[in-house]
Amino acid sequence: MSTDLPYRPTTNASQHERRSSSGSRSAVAVPPNNPSVNEFPKLPPAAPTIGRSQSVSRASLRQRSGEHANLPSLARSRRYRSQYPLDSSERHVEYILVASFHVDRGPIMEHQYPAPIGGDESMLAELMLPDQTHVRSQDWTIFFLHKDTGNGEEEESQDTNKTGKKKKKKYKEPNGSTDEEDYGTTQPFANDEEASDEEDVSGEGPPLMYVLNLVNTKQDNNFRRGAVVKAMAICTRHSFLHIYKPLLLLALEEYFKSPYPETLATLYDAANAMDLSLMPRLSLLERSILQASDAKDMFIEKFERMIQQRLADEAANKEHSSPDSPSKPRYMLPRDTHEFESKVIYNEIPIPVKVPTAVWPETVGDFSLLKLIQTFSTPHSTSPHPLALHPHLTTNGPFTHPVIVLVNAMLTQKRVIFLGHNRPSGEVAEAVLAACALASGGVLRGFTRHAFPYTDLTKIDDLLNVPGFVAGVTNPTFANHPEWWDLLCDLPTGRMKISSRISPGPVTEGLLYFQQPHISLAVAHASSGASSDPTGDNAFMDDILRSISHRHGEGAIRSKWRSYIYKFTRIAAAFEESVYGASSLYIIGPGEELSPESPSSGQSDPLDPASLRGHGYVWPDEASKLRQLAAYVSRIEGWRNTRSYYAFIQDIAIYYHAAGPIKGLDLLHHHDRLRTLKPSHADAAAIYLAFAHAVRDSAGICQLLSVTPESQAGLFYISMGLFHPDLVVREATVDLLDRIASHEAGRHFWNHLGRFMKLAYFRIKREKEAALSAAANQSMTFGSQTGPQSLVGIALGDVSLRQS
Amino acid sequence: MGGQVSKLMSRIFGSKEMRILMLGLDAAGKTTILYKLKLNQDVTTIPTVGFNVESVTYKNVKFNVWDVGGQDKIRPLWRHYYSGTQGLIFVIDSSDTARMNEARSELHKIINDREMKDALLLVFANKQDIAGHLSPEEVTNALQLNKLRDRLWYVVPSVATQGTGIFEGLAWLSNNVKSQPMK
Repeated sequence: MSTDLPYRPTTNASQHERRSSSGSRSAVAVPPNNPSVNEFPKLPPAAPTIGRSQSVSRASLRQRSGEHANLPSLARSRRYRSQYPLDSSERHVEYILVASFHVDRGPIMEHQYPAPIGGDESMLAELMLPDQTHVRSQDWTIFFLHKDTGNGEEEESQDTNKTGKKKKKKYKEPNGSTDEEDYGTTQPFANDEEASDEEDVSGEGPPLMYVLNLVNTKQDNNFRRGAVVKAMAICTRHSFLHIYKPLLLLALEEYFKSPYPETLATLYDAANAMDLSLMPRLSLLERSILQASDAKDMFIEKFERMIQQRLADEAANKEHSSPDSPSKPRYMLPRDTHEFESKVIYNEIPIPVKVPTAVWPETVGDFSLLKLIQTFSTPHSTSPHPLALHPHLTTNGPFTHPVIVLVNAMLTQKRVIFLGHNRPSGEVAEAVLAACALASGGVLRGFTRHAFPYTDLTKIDDLLNVPGFVAGVTNPTFANHPEWWDLLCDLPTGRMKISSRISPGPVTEGLLYFQQPHISLAVAHASSGASSDPTGDNAFMDDILRSISHRHGEGAIRSKWRSYIYKFTRIAAAFEESVYGASSLYIIGPGEELSPESPSSGQSDPLDPASLRGHGYVWPDEASKLRQLAAYVSRIEGWRNTRSYYAFIQDIAIYYHAAGPIKGLDLLHHHDRLRTLKPSHADAAAIYLAFAHAVRDSAGICQLLSVTPESQAGLFYISMGLFHPDLVVREATVDLLDRIASHEAGRHFWNHLGRFMKLAYFRIKREKEAALSAAANQSMTFGSQTGPQSLVGIALGDVSLRQS
Repeated sequence: MGGQVSKLMSRIFGSKEMRILMLGLDAAGKTTILYKLKLNQDVTTIPTVGFNVESVTYKNVKFNVWDVGGQDKIRPLWRHYYSGTQGLIFVIDSSDTARMNEARSELHKIINDREMKDALLLVFANKQDIAGHLSPEEVTNALQLNKLRDRLWYVVPSVATQGTGIFEGLAWLSNNVKSQPMK
C-alpha cells in the first residue's frame, strides 16, 4: 500500500515535490481530522530522508493535534489491489496430473492437463506413488517442483503486461468469469504499482510449484494382481495448497469411474474459477500486524473497500449494459479477516474454501508446529538421550533440547531427514513443512526451496547433490545410511540422531575471537554464578512447552518461534558487529554510528527530534551480552555462509526500504529498552519524544505496531509515557496514542489498552485542552513556554535554523 | 543400557540378528513369502510399491527381512538396501521360463556388488505347484550358480502360498550366518 514506494527514485522525487508543497504554509487548510480511516493508505509514504521529517514537524506546527498533518487532502484516490485480481494471468492451479502403479512397469504417468508439465515424467510418477502405498487405501503427499513460469505465458515485468493480458484471453477457458470491462479499469493501476510490489523483489527466482498429491489403492480382483493404485495431483504456486484437499478427494474418486483427460479438465476449470478477487493486498507490515493479532476484524476496512470498489465498477458497467441483474448483497465481509472465504464448484457441488489472507514466507500447506514440538519433546522430557556432540547442533551440551537441535541443524544448513516408517507419507511431509516454518519463523527463507516433504530412494542421488536439505521419507533404509544425513529425526519414536559421518564445524574467525584469553576469561567471569543456560534456549523451550500445556494454540506457538528466530538474527547482527566490526544483517539508519559501544541514547542528529542513537538487540548489561554471544558463537558461525543467511541480507535491504518511513530510529531497539531496561527518566523521555515525532503517518504507525504485538503487552510500554514526570513527554504520548487510536489497525491495539492507561490518557488530554484554551485567550506569541508549544517550537526552530 | 543388556544376553544364549534382503523379478512371490514367514498364513498380496520390511524370529535368530518391489524400473533402487545385508533371498518364479535369463542377469548384478560380497545367497525356486515349472536343478543351471566362486549358496524348491520350503530356507540361513557383530 502506502509503504511500497519510497525506494523508487522517480516516484519518490515527485512525491517529495508534492509533499513539500503541502508542507508549505498553504497547507493549513488540511482538515485536522480525516474522518474516514479507509483513506489512510492513500497517503504517500514518508520518504526516508531527514528533510522529510522536518516537513512533518513543520506541518505539525500548524496542526495542533498533529493528526495526519502531512496528508495532502488532494491525494489521488488509489484503488485497493486484490491479491488475486480477476484479470491476473496467474491461475490458481496450473496443472493436474494422474499417475498409476503399473503391475509390470511400476509407476507411470497416465494423464497431464492442460499440457505436459515437462521434466522427468517417471520421476514425477514415482513421487506421486509413495513407498508402501500398497498397505494403505489412501495417502497424501506434498512435493515441490522447481519450474520457472516460462512458456511465454506469464511475464513478470510490467512492460510486457499488455502482451501478457492479450495472451491470457487466449488461454481463458470458455466458462471463465472475467468480464472484459474490468481490464480497462484496473490496468493503469496495475501498471502503476506492479514494480513496487515487494514480493517481486525476493530475488530467488520464480516461486516454487507446490504439488498436492492424493493416492488411492483399491483392492479389486477384476484387475490383474488384485489392485489398482492411482494418484492425482494439483500443481499450484499458492502455498496454501491444502485448501484443495476436498476437491482432490472428489476428483480422484471420479477418475476411478471415468479415467479420461476430461475428468482432469473439469477439476482444472473448477479450481481456476475460484474467485479470490475481493481479497485485498496487504503490505509487508500490515501482513505482520494481521498475523500477530487475534482480532477477527483487523483490517476489515480494506475488505469493505474492496466490495465498495466492486459495486462501483458494476454500477459503472451497468450504464452501458443491460440492467438485467437485480442488485442484491452478493458480497459478504469475512467473519475473520485472517482468512478469506470462497468456494469452488466442482460437478455442481459447492465446496467452501478458506484462503489465508496473510501467509509468512516458508509457510506451505497446513502443518502443526505444536505437533512437531510435542513429538520430539515428550520422549526427551521422560527419558532424555544424550546426543553426539557437534558445535553447531548441541549448543546446550549432549542434552540440548531436540527441537533446538533441529532448528540449529536447519539454520546451519545441515542435511535433515524425517523418517516415518509405517507412517503415511503425508505425516512426514507435514513434519518437513513444520520444520521449515520453525527455522524460518517467517523471518528467514531458503528452507522450503531445499525441502523435500516426501521423497524416496529413487531421488537419493539428486538429494545428495543438494548441500543442506530437509527431507521426509518413510523408508527405514535411510537410517542405515548415516552418510546420507547429518540429523535423523525419527517420528515414531520421537528421537533424533546425529550422524557419525557429520563433518565437524570448521574453526572460524568468530570462534577464535571468543577463544582469545582475555575474552574467554571475561566470558568465564560473566558466566560464573549465572545459570547453566547461557543460550537461554532451555528457558525458551520451557516457555513453549508451558504454552502448549496451557493450550495457547498454534498461533501463539508460531509467534513465539517467530520472535525466537528474529532474536537469533539480531544477536547474530550484534555478534558480527562485535567480532567483525560490521554486520550486513542490520542496516544502520542515517546518523547512526556503527560502534557497538555507542550509547543507546542521545539524538544522532541534533536537529531531528525523531532520531535517536542505538540499535539492535538489547541486553541488560555487557556481561550478559558477552555471555550470550559466547553461547551463540558456534551456530552463528555455522549460519554465516548458508543460503538463509545470504537471503536474509537481501531481505534486510528490502525490509529496510519497504517496511516503513522511520529509518533514523530503531523502534524495536528503543521499545525493548523501555520494556527490559527501565531507563532513567531522561532516557525514557528521549525515547517517547522520538517516537512521537517519528511515528506520523499510516506506514509509520504500522511500523510501530509491528514491534508492539498484542502478545507482548501491545501498547503498554508506549502508554507508560502517560506517567512520565515531564509534561511534554506525557502530551507527546497522548498525541501519539491519538494517532494510533484512529488508525485502522491501531484502534484494535488501543482497545486492548488497560483502563488505567486510558483514564490517564483522558486526564492528560483534558488538561491539555484546558491549557490550550487558556493559551488561546492570551496572545499567541510564538515560542510561548507552555508544554506542547515549546516542543513544536523546538522543531520549528530547528527547521528555520537549517533553512537559514 | 537396555541395549547393552540384550547384547550381553545374545552373547550368552547365542541369539543372533540377521539382516536379510529379499529380491527378485516382479510377481515372483516375495511379499507372499515375507508374510508367510511373519504370520504363517497365506495373505493376498498386491504389487509392492517401494518395499516391505518385517522382523521374524526363527530358531533363535531374529531376521529383519526387507522385501523390495521388483518392477524393472525400480530395480536400480535395490543397491541402496545392500549395505549391512548378511543374506540375500532371491525369489524365482519357476514357471516363468521366459524371464529366466532376465532373472539370472539381475541376480549376478546384485551379488557382484562389493557391498554384497559376504552375503549368503538363498534362492527360492518358487511356484513349484504350477504346471510347467522348472525343477530346482534346472533353476540352478539357468541361474548359472555353479559358476559362482567364494559364495555360499543354496536353492530350495518352494510353494510360498502353502509354506512349503520356506522355513527350510530360513534354517539354512540361520545355520550358516557367521556370528559377525551387527552394524
